[in-house]
Amino acid sequence: MRAARTFNLSIMLGPATALIGVFILVPMVLTVWLSFHEWSSQTPFSSARFVGLRNYQDLFGPISVGRDFRRAFFNTAIYTCVSVLALLPLSVMLGLLVHQKRAAGGQMLRTVLFATYMVPMIAVALVWSKLYSPSEGPINQILGWFGLGPQPWLSSPSTALYALVILNVWQQVGYFTVLAIAGLTQIPKTLHEAARIDGANPVQSFFGVTLPLLRRTLLFSAVIAVINAVQVFEPVALITQGGPAGSTNVLTYHIRRVGIERAQGGMGSAMAVMLMLSLIVAIFAIFAMNRKAEEQ
Amino acid sequence: MTRSGSLERALLTALILTIAVIAAFPIVWMVLSSLKTPQESMQVPPVWLPRTPNFSAFSEVSDVIGAGRSMMNSAIIATVATAGILITSLMAGYAFAKYRFRGRSILFALLVGTMFLPPIVTLIPLYRLISEIGFNGSLVGVILPNLANAFGIFLMRQFIAGVPDDLLDAARVDGASEIRIVFSVVAPAVAPAIAALTLFAFVYQWNTYLWPLTVLQGNTDNYPIVLSLGRLLSYNRGAMNTGLVMAGATLAVLPPLFLFVFLQKFFVDSIVSSGVKG
Repeated sequence: MRAARTFNLSIMLGPATALIGVFILVPMVLTVWLSFHEWSSQTPFSSARFVGLRNYQDLFGPISVGRDFRRAFFNTAIYTCVSVLALLPLSVMLGLLVHQKRAAGGQMLRTVLFATYMVPMIAVALVWSKLYSPSEGPINQILGWFGLGPQPWLSSPSTALYALVILNVWQQVGYFTVLAIAGLTQIPKTLHEAARIDGANPVQSFFGVTLPLLRRTLLFSAVIAVINAVQVFEPVALITQGGPAGSTNVLTYHIRRVGIERAQGGMGSAMAVMLMLSLIVAIFAIFAMNRKAEEQ
Repeated sequence: MTRSGSLERALLTALILTIAVIAAFPIVWMVLSSLKTPQESMQVPPVWLPRTPNFSAFSEVSDVIGAGRSMMNSAIIATVATAGILITSLMAGYAFAKYRFRGRSILFALLVGTMFLPPIVTLIPLYRLISEIGFNGSLVGVILPNLANAFGIFLMRQFIAGVPDDLLDAARVDGASEIRIVFSVVAPAVAPAIAALTLFAFVYQWNTYLWPLTVLQGNTDNYPIVLSLGRLLSYNRGAMNTGLVMAGATLAVLPPLFLFVFLQKFFVDSIVSSGVKG
């Protein structure tokens, strides 16, 4: 009987564990191991040469490798922060619009918003690159109707990264709206009624009842939004190639360029480890902020 | 109903419509642009509606990048990977939901924790690993690392935990093997979750770009449609090919959107019930 149980267990868990183990967990360990080595990604792992902390020293050092990396890191940090700060309030606002029962059209809005999340990022990038086009694009045309001058969007170092943020927010907001709706449906109606009887207006009721009860949803959303944002790759690889003037060189693009295209596997792995560590720090920071808010 | 109430409702409806139009605009623009003539695409200020729908971009795009073949590759990648994810997730989800064994929570945390790992972190060693076993440039190399997935295991465990044990015991009394129980008793009981995971996995695998780009190494015969779209951009640069690019993008968007229309309900319900218990 026991033997049969063990047999069943290994049949059930074997495939998933083996696949995730070999193709995710082992590479994860290898990434850390390779980051202490000099290694060309065109050669077997056995040819890696141990160099200790040298890759990391280079990343923090005054040479161009370090400068490029720090620029990419900084760009990714800006992109991530602005994306999250735009996505969370937007998703709550849109969630309220879908969730309210007074006017029709909520379900339709949810469908439209969520449909954008199904579109391949590559198609999003292509379409938006045309929408942003300075003279043939409709965005500057629409701005013109409101008397606003044309914007350079992707062609200026000061606006290109933010243009990519807009594209990201457009694609992802539907997903976070659905999360917000999920949070909103779990708030008992009686709480809002109690607040109304106590004489709270809708705004007070939102900040006093809705927002505190949405905190766990927003925490989850913030973590997912950060993880998604550091993965930005397609629009940069395809349209800006990290430009203009390095302003959209982001980590995923940069790591792939160094580690795969230039075959500097050790250096690329050290960058990947730094990305991973920063992500862990960022997620811990989000949790810490959440705890602080809870105490107040 | 008071007058202020109906005014409020009208304003809300207007706001909802405006946002929906803004959200849908890029997709509508994409489809419209794929039907414009090259001259219409180049006009300043831009024309919004093509005078007559012009489908020549679609036939041209098929020649330039072999769109048919690329769509086929995408279909193979997404279908096989989705099937793999469904099978491995059902089995592992069942084990985590219904078996008690030592190290269960550690193993579960280890597997599901990979959900939060951006693919770029493991990309470099994975690329080398796949070339060491000789699958570089092949569809097998694209699919193999994607046959199991943390989100799938997590989702299935959530739903299978709610399947009553009596149902399983009854099947065991009838002499069904555990494998049979998973696929003929548990699977039908969690059909909505299977529908949701099908959509999630298929759309994700159809849309994924970074891994195929890395593993296929310029072997354009095996390119999925998303990679072929990237090639389209460097073909005949300039506004002349806007229609082409938009036609290609429209082709790439159709299958995921089509599936979404059918399975939307399950997908939204699964997000609502799987992650966020407030």
